[in-house]
Amino acid sequence: MSEYLLEMKNITKTFPGVKALDNVNLNVRKGTVHALMGENGAGKSTLMKCLFGIYEPNGGEIYLDGKKASIHSARQAMDQGIAMVHQELHPIRFRSVMENVYLGRFPGHMGVVDHKAMYERTKALFEDLELDVDPLALAGEQSAAILQMMEIARAVDMKAKIIILDEPTSSLSDREVDHLFKIINRLRAQGVAFIYISHKMKEILEISDEITVMRDGTYVGTWPVTDEKGEKLTIDFIIKQMVGREMTNQFPPREGKPGSDVVLKVEKVCSPLPKSFQNVSFELHKQEILGIGGLVGAQRTEFVEALFGLRGIASGEIMLNGARYTNKSPGFAKSRGLALLTEERRATGIFGILPILENTVIANQRNYAHFGVLNDSRRVKDADEECKKLNVKTPSLNTLIQNLSGGNQQKVLIARWLLTNSDILILDEPTRGIDVGAKYEIYNIMLEQIAQGKSIIMISSEMPELMGMSDRIMVMCEGRVTGFLNKGEYSQEKIMALATQFAGRKDAA
Amino acid sequence: MANTSRSKRLMTVGGLIFLVLGIALYFLKAPLGLNRKIYDLPVFLIIIGICSAFKGFTAKEKTEEEAALAGKTFTEFLTNNAILLAMLVLVVVICILQPRFMQIRVALDILTQSSPKLIMALGICFALLIAGTDLSAGRMVGLAAVISASMMQTATYANRFFPDLPQLSLWIPIAAAILACMLFGALNGFIVAKYEMHPFIATLATQVIIYGVCSLYFDMPPNNSQPIGGIRPDFAQIGQLRLFNGLWKGFPGISILIPIAIVICIIIWFVLNKTVFGKNVYAIGGNREAAVVAGINVFSNIMFIFILASLLYGIAGVLEAARTAGATNNYGLGYETDAIAACVVGGVSMSGGIGKVGGIVMGVLIFTVIQYGLQFINVSPMWQQVIKGVIIAVAVAIDMTKYRKK
Amino acid sequence: MRKVFMTALVLVLAVACCAHADEVKIGACIYRFNDAFMLRFRNAMSAESEKLGAVITIADGQDNQTTQDEQVDAFIADGVNVLIVNTVDRMASQSIIDKAKAANIPVVFINREPTPEMLATYDKAYYVGAKAEESGTETGELVASYFKAHPEADKNKDGKLQFILLKGQNGHQDMILRSKYSVEAVKNAGIEPVELASAIANWDKLEAMKIMNGFIMSIGPENIEAVIANNDEMALGAIEALKAQDYNTGNPEAYIPVVGVDANASALEAMDKGEMLGTVLNDADNQGISAVRLAAALAEGKDTGTIGYEITDGKYIWIPYQKVTRGEKQ
Repeated sequence: MSEYLLEMKNITKTFPGVKALDNVNLNVRKGTVHALMGENGAGKSTLMKCLFGIYEPNGGEIYLDGKKASIHSARQAMDQGIAMVHQELHPIRFRSVMENVYLGRFPGHMGVVDHKAMYERTKALFEDLELDVDPLALAGEQSAAILQMMEIARAVDMKAKIIILDEPTSSLSDREVDHLFKIINRLRAQGVAFIYISHKMKEILEISDEITVMRDGTYVGTWPVTDEKGEKLTIDFIIKQMVGREMTNQFPPREGKPGSDVVLKVEKVCSPLPKSFQNVSFELHKQEILGIGGLVGAQRTEFVEALFGLRGIASGEIMLNGARYTNKSPGFAKSRGLALLTEERRATGIFGILPILENTVIANQRNYAHFGVLNDSRRVKDADEECKKLNVKTPSLNTLIQNLSGGNQQKVLIARWLLTNSDILILDEPTRGIDVGAKYEIYNIMLEQIAQGKSIIMISSEMPELMGMSDRIMVMCEGRVTGFLNKGEYSQEKIMALATQFAGRKDAA
Repeated sequence: MANTSRSKRLMTVGGLIFLVLGIALYFLKAPLGLNRKIYDLPVFLIIIGICSAFKGFTAKEKTEEEAALAGKTFTEFLTNNAILLAMLVLVVVICILQPRFMQIRVALDILTQSSPKLIMALGICFALLIAGTDLSAGRMVGLAAVISASMMQTATYANRFFPDLPQLSLWIPIAAAILACMLFGALNGFIVAKYEMHPFIATLATQVIIYGVCSLYFDMPPNNSQPIGGIRPDFAQIGQLRLFNGLWKGFPGISILIPIAIVICIIIWFVLNKTVFGKNVYAIGGNREAAVVAGINVFSNIMFIFILASLLYGIAGVLEAARTAGATNNYGLGYETDAIAACVVGGVSMSGGIGKVGGIVMGVLIFTVIQYGLQFINVSPMWQQVIKGVIIAVAVAIDMTKYRKK
Repeated sequence: MRKVFMTALVLVLAVACCAHADEVKIGACIYRFNDAFMLRFRNAMSAESEKLGAVITIADGQDNQTTQDEQVDAFIADGVNVLIVNTVDRMASQSIIDKAKAANIPVVFINREPTPEMLATYDKAYYVGAKAEESGTETGELVASYFKAHPEADKNKDGKLQFILLKGQNGHQDMILRSKYSVEAVKNAGIEPVELASAIANWDKLEAMKIMNGFIMSIGPENIEAVIANNDEMALGAIEALKAQDYNTGNPEAYIPVVGVDANASALEAMDKGEMLGTVLNDADNQGISAVRLAAALAEGKDTGTIGYEITDGKYIWIPYQKVTRGEKQ
């Protein structure tokens, strides 16, 4: 019996022109939570994909329980007790929760599915995990948190020995995170090992037993969270290992103050859907960063999408620079100087199979065209300048954007909207799933834009970011604005109190 | 580094050898009595030689990074070009079995036959690029053929479609035929864009409508569904004219269809690569939701896609009517599947966003050469079907492995 | 969907026609409307029905036997007095005979001949058509007489006729018989026929053009001494392919005789221009007239001897073919 449940030794993986992993080691003990950390692009996802059989490593070995394992497909990985909960979940939306849990391994005989057994087993599983979900409910109607629990339930049912969690809390509210940790603790006590990928330092220090840090596709080291003397690792120490340098400030200093001119005035805007945003009113000033806080389900995203013309508005008035504005279409919003960086980068942001160049200039094509014919040299020049300015790390503009890390993809998307020279930038979770270094760069870009006279609306679910960057915070709860907080009166408690104002009802999950 | 310059040298030297061999054979074939054995082989050798040598001379030295990115091993090269290589092998086999294949007129004939197919494929590629398809393409060809031919009969012909129609200018029937197609193209675009219907369903519906409308038109008295004949020679010339005919003895001339297809090819390349519309097509195909967020007017772009495609089908239909000097409502039957197959073999992805004009040209040529060649050596049409199907499956399978990272 | 629609259409038409209960109601099924030959047939039938005061409803089988079966059912259900059927697949004739027999109404087959065994199963089953072998024989004779009259037509001077054969739909009886008897006729005229190549072009101009083009390339036009096509459309397709190689455009040096069957308008025009040698008229008019007269007589229970066409073996009316050559208009 080996000391470790899983050993990955000297894993090396190259893609054409890129060495993604260079002799990386990862050793995970039974019944522990092992955090895997590193900036985006450090190779965490690639390493996990090698473990999960999605990629074939060019070198190195994998041992399970001390025995050499051969994993060539996700199926084989699952058969050997490895399960993975992806960051972005893709359930089969129009099928029930239980069918999603048992997808690919329905209980039954000779191809006939035993629905009753499936129902009973799912129910038992959910009860065990303290999940209050009807197994017959449609997967597409569930929140991200529930879907994640569903995936974990699936892993548990498959008797997984190792569960990989990739950014599990990126779309969860604090309460949901607590629930998740409770489940992790219980399974850990049963001997299940977790590989936990996250950028959230506090969570990692709270939940994990050991930390492995990677940087630029190489192995940096592994440390126990609490050493023999009972001392915990510090956040600064981990950041130093990740970026290879000391990181003193999480947020760049804000210079100057918001102006007094109102650039956007929203009055009593209501969604046609009764459960969505209602009676939203606020003013956005020139050179202001207005943060929008709230729990998942507060309809913040829905509101900004409506503002940008992606959704309808039933009533209310919007004034843009003193003139009446109607949310006809995204194209119209763009022409009026609005820009929207969406929350779902992959689904509604990037064009994965297109090069960075096209991704950068796509919203600004008209400005390069005479009678519909494009001026290529100007496109390339602009894209090149903007990507350099935002420090996008890429071999060339012709690289497909899907080959970039999340942080770099996000920078390209920001470059896209900066090129349109919009006056009001709406950023929906601008730093989700992005590493510390890139986050800092994005904060810097935001401040630069403010300095140039732009205004920003930022939705964020990360309290420190919300408080660190906003000039003013508007908090929403279940589609309604529950209050504004000015700089100086911020505190997590106050924001939470406003965000859960209607807590008489069920948790807004 | 060494590798690339070696391949460069190989190309240059190989090209020169071909060139010399070609010139030698050209002068020796008559004295050696090879005229009836190798036909125009020397000319082909000379052309291949010049192209290869020229490419070898002008090929840029690749930087180390690019070379590493290209990273092609020999086996990779083989799999990536399997269909092309299979075609070359087939061509050599046919040349041995039937030396007549090595004639310039055969090469020209293959290009001529490829031309309408290429126009079709270029039209249908737009629908494929937005992850759709266009089943109505073939029927639009039939519609355009019938409409244009019906107004282009000689005054003396016994069974005129419109007995009292005066001699029209050429452009009126052509415009009418193409406009009719564009009308249905707009219908396609409208139901796809407005109701977000899958193009498969939308164009299936339109296909049936078009066939019905075309048959009604075709069945109008006094024609009553007779094949349309007695086509005016000036109209037939649009499809049958041969440029440089008899430039030297035995030169059959270059069919007008070839330059027409080349011009359309260049226009479509330009549209796809150099215009806002083209970029929008790739973007909508790549990620429709993201395109909406980026402020692209998806509705008008999809409308335009289908209208532009139907314009090309209309042109193909008119050319088909002119080339055959006739039309029936059955013209164009099944053209869309051939066009889709050629696109797919040429590397256009059915899931949208991926596809190049160069690839489509290759796809069409490969298809035509193989089909033409098989018929040339008298392979049964049934076997031709089997082979065609295998080519599609193999080509796409190879393509898929290219995109799948492992 | 299309089938259901068509069946419904037939029913509606049929209902619309049944205003006069005492009139003869004829239900006619054509295998495909857009067939030039069957069109003439249709027109002749309609005209003759009008003359006789009978009501005829004609349905388009769209080249689909299932569709046609449904149309026959619809006619029977509607109570027609007699059926005229041009089957899509002649082997399906038996089931149509069975249906007619069960409903006790006469059935006249046209153009596509059921086997004698099938016809024998029902005393009120008839066939009107031309003897396909006759059309074959006559095309062969056209080529043979040209070959004899023009010594330059024997391009390689071997005394044999090197020809290309373009065939109709696979398995079609006309295709089989025309192909066989045209070659036979050449042989009977004392010339040895040599088939350079043959292919199925499905009666279609475009297909024939493509195929002929391939033959010209692979065999060489200088080696082809004649093209025999099973119908005019295919002959015209072959001519388009030849014209693309500067053959048959008026230059006597570059001419290949092409023959077809049907004598349709385009073929007559091509003959006037000297592009086509000749064709054989399949007399659609007389076939159509005789089919309707026979059907009407059967429906009314009259003597079939009075219709003006001879009935052979109690089952058949044979309409002879006519040769049409250059310059002769119908």
